[in-house]
Amino acid sequence: MVDFLIGLFLASLIVSLFTTRLYRLLLWYSMNSLTLGILALSIGKSLDDRAMFITGVMTILLKAVGIPFVLKNLSVKFNFVRQITPEIKVQYSIMLIPAILVFTFYLSEPIVHMIHTNANYVAISISSLFLSLLLMMEHKNVAPKIIGFLSMENSLFLLGITATNGMPMLVELGIFFDLLMAIVVINLLFHKEELKV
Amino acid sequence: MMLTLLLTPAVIMFFVSFLKNERSKYLLAFTSFVILLPIVKLFLLPKPYAILDTYLVADRLDTYILLVSSIVGIGVTLALLTLDKHVKVSPKAYKKFYRFFAIFWVGLIFSILSNHMGIYWIGLELATLSTVYMIKTNYTSAAHKEAWNYMIVGAIGVSLVLFGIILIYASAKPILGEEAMNFDLLLAHANEIPSPFLFEIGFAITTIGMFVKMGFFPMNLWLANIERASFYPVAALFSGILESAVIVGFFRFSQIAMKINYNHLFIFVFAYTILTIFIVSFLIFRAKDFIRLFSLSGIEHMALIVIFWVSGAPFAALLHFGAHAFLKPALFLSAGVLESNGKYKIAGALKGYTDIKGTIFKFLISLFLLAIISIPPSPMFFSELYGFAAMINTAKSSDNILAMIGAILFLLILLSIIFYRFSAIYQSMQYEGEQHNKKVYISELFSLVIFTISLMILLLPSTLAYLKSIV
Repeated sequence: MVDFLIGLFLASLIVSLFTTRLYRLLLWYSMNSLTLGILALSIGKSLDDRAMFITGVMTILLKAVGIPFVLKNLSVKFNFVRQITPEIKVQYSIMLIPAILVFTFYLSEPIVHMIHTNANYVAISISSLFLSLLLMMEHKNVAPKIIGFLSMENSLFLLGITATNGMPMLVELGIFFDLLMAIVVINLLFHKEELKV
Repeated sequence: MMLTLLLTPAVIMFFVSFLKNERSKYLLAFTSFVILLPIVKLFLLPKPYAILDTYLVADRLDTYILLVSSIVGIGVTLALLTLDKHVKVSPKAYKKFYRFFAIFWVGLIFSILSNHMGIYWIGLELATLSTVYMIKTNYTSAAHKEAWNYMIVGAIGVSLVLFGIILIYASAKPILGEEAMNFDLLLAHANEIPSPFLFEIGFAITTIGMFVKMGFFPMNLWLANIERASFYPVAALFSGILESAVIVGFFRFSQIAMKINYNHLFIFVFAYTILTIFIVSFLIFRAKDFIRLFSLSGIEHMALIVIFWVSGAPFAALLHFGAHAFLKPALFLSAGVLESNGKYKIAGALKGYTDIKGTIFKFLISLFLLAIISIPPSPMFFSELYGFAAMINTAKSSDNILAMIGAILFLLILLSIIFYRFSAIYQSMQYEGEQHNKKVYISELFSLVIFTISLMILLLPSTLAYLKSIV
């Protein structure tokens, strides 16, 4: 089950790299967050860890539902360009993405020997981090860059639950709070104010 | 109780910023003064002082950094009172600045006083996000673009810090459990960490994240561009306070890394900082405006603080840190007055201040400019003496003494390029260009006097003794 969810997590991120429509990108981000949330619930259940269970529920509510909803509203309010063509051509992305995956598995080889729980997942979370950075880099529009930033946060969350079997609850809540703050700031940044003196 | 006292001024500031009364601007400035009171009280309490269980613990290092930051905050808010005389600013922007300054201050308190890696990160992220909107208080398209840039690059930097923290936590969790997030426990059990390599990888990633935030290689220009696009008090806050929150994290993490493998830490940081100073020195040589010049110089000084710290000279690092935290905001605030609506450039910038206030202003700027290039009796002169002495001692005990001495000499050559550039700029400000009648306001002067007095206090024997006792 965990392997399947990790695969879905990675697949949804890879698909979002090829997406050329904004709403579809939001959908893939939502799917990515949903699989992460279910993954947290699943690992939480197997470890009998209530904190991770709460984290999983919050991930689903906040990241899979709340944030995509807010971003969609923002896109309507501020008339975002919905056609988001990646700067990197598809044929190059097809070569680049597997290269990143292989490279990160090679890069994380010394680390995975030291992490006894879900060792390969650590490599996947590191590769997700690189793929999120790629998502930020391959678009000129701001909206996909925001999704890239949020996906990066998802990758770190995945690293947290796989490498350490969950961070302390206090830290998880703090990260959620910061994420909400980020959304507030992003909303404010879209307002173009005129100078009236 | 202490936490409530520390946070109350920021909470009051946040709510006052929503008042529509014109005079609330003075109340906001006053509130920023009140920030100092609980910090002075905390400074005088015996250390370590547990503020919130083991999560927030005040020790000598963080109370010193918090005290320095609060003085900088007061200086900046004083200069903010006459911001509209030098730049075009909307009254709404003032209040927004304070609103986000209040959030920034809360984040800063948490990150500086934290004894917990997670809380440190949460505070740092909160401080970073709040400064994003401060940049946008300048309603220009350049500031709008740079605010987005800061949001994205800052987020990448802070994400790298979190990535490293997770790996550090994973390395120590087998022996410490959830307590592996505590800095003091990590330090006490550093030698027992079962996977030191994992810790070192985590430390390296965290450090790179922090270095990105401070504008180190390869992100040397992003901070300079942001500071150029935002109002000068925001640039002063960036250089005087936000970087304090980052550097305190570096101090904490590197203390643990020193116990694990000092040589690895030293070589990594030494090579990284020399590379940074190499690039920055040439960028400084080409800088054509005050804000970029001071911003790049800020990167150089942060690199020096880092290198002094890892060379085993914490006293030099902390003295340099204090001096930089007071000097750089003072220079940024002066630059705002000197440029005044972008009307004036470097050449002849010091000409035209004829009245008493202007003469004092001119004298203070000259002092700051000479102090930043470490001309005695600047605190930076003494910190660099101690710092380079420590580096030579480290070189003597290393296996590659010639390479190390060569690297130190190379560093000195780079610093001399910066010295030459600042001297040339000072001469250009004094003797070139045309003369125009310029004005300086009392609140700006008062703010610069606060920074001057603070710099003088840094040189008192009792302050130096205190700094020596910190680590």
